[in-house]
Amino acid sequence: MSEKALSRFRQPISVPGRRLVHHIPLPFVLKKVTGGGQRSVNQEIPLIPFIDFLLCIVLFLLASFSATGELPVDKNVQLPKAENVLDMTDAPIVAVTGTQILVDGTAAGSTRTIEEANRLQRIDELFNILKNKRELWKQVNPGRAFPGIAVLQIDRRVPALVVKSVFQTAAMSGYPSISFQVGRLGKPGG
Amino acid sequence: MAGIDVGGGHGGKRSLNHEIPLIPFIDFLLCLVAFLLVTAVWTQMARINANAKVPGPPRDDEPDEIKPEKELHVEMRGDRKFQLVWKEGATVVNTIDVEKKQVDVGSEGDFRYPALAEKVASEWKSSGSHRSPSDTKFDRAVLHTDNSTPFSEVIAVIDAVYTPQRDFTFGGKTEKVPAFNLTFAVN
Repeated sequence: MSEKALSRFRQPISVPGRRLVHHIPLPFVLKKVTGGGQRSVNQEIPLIPFIDFLLCIVLFLLASFSATGELPVDKNVQLPKAENVLDMTDAPIVAVTGTQILVDGTAAGSTRTIEEANRLQRIDELFNILKNKRELWKQVNPGRAFPGIAVLQIDRRVPALVVKSVFQTAAMSGYPSISFQVGRLGKPGG
Repeated sequence: MAGIDVGGGHGGKRSLNHEIPLIPFIDFLLCLVAFLLVTAVWTQMARINANAKVPGPPRDDEPDEIKPEKELHVEMRGDRKFQLVWKEGATVVNTIDVEKKQVDVGSEGDFRYPALAEKVASEWKSSGSHRSPSDTKFDRAVLHTDNSTPFSEVIAVIDAVYTPQRDFTFGGKTEKVPAFNLTFAVN
């Protein structure tokens, strides 16, 4: 009996490790079968938790989705909040920011003259712009009744005198149904 | 990749195992997320209605005499109390005082007048004229305010006036709307 065979007999349990194709005495085969001494770079990406995560985001965004869109509010305007409100409507927006009055983003006068006079008065520039808008609407929609709705986007700190002046000016220029843009406040217990 | 393994596929039959194409599904979900994020609305805007007391266009069937309707005048110029005055034309029908008790809401300086809201609601229940859902007219409220009053305070009072709600049928659809239609007093 050879010595090698004897040693195998004495050690029936051999050291664990790779055995297949290891007997081929070629370096490139040996390199391949031992994995080149490196760990495999292939990795399984756990896609199922990723899809679950995406589905949760989709459901949340769908739940908070609003098809009515949103009106841009100037960052300097702090709107007050109210409970008993209506949904927004498509109408010309008269914004009062600081001392400036804007109609759909276009300058339409200043509040300084009202504050200096300290009395309710018509704002001529605003009046003309709104009147022109009304005329334009009637030309574009002949035969249809003019809704006469305007939305006032007014900062919470603006004094009532300015609010009333803008309100009356809008009414005189053909917009008697006026809405104040506000933030929606949750009803108590609702 | 995800797959469905139901066994089979032996004995010359077609395999029943299927690979679910997850990559297009993930692409679809990502597109959906991107669209929803772009169109997402994080602030809830709304409007509160007011009406200017302006005459409408002349009608053929103009009545000879218009009976003055009852109006609720809300006087908010006092420091300590609101005054609710029911008027029929120039005649004062009833006057009610309500304590000016401000209740803060949230942390952004918003506030409410729940006592005023409660009183206006009870007044409308007892004295309101337009209650039928088919009635196209609304009870009128007139707000008297000081020139220097901040707009947030005006809105808090308007919000209280709009607390009583009634059914309103329009175009076969009935919905809850504020019972009062508010306008500003010029003086």
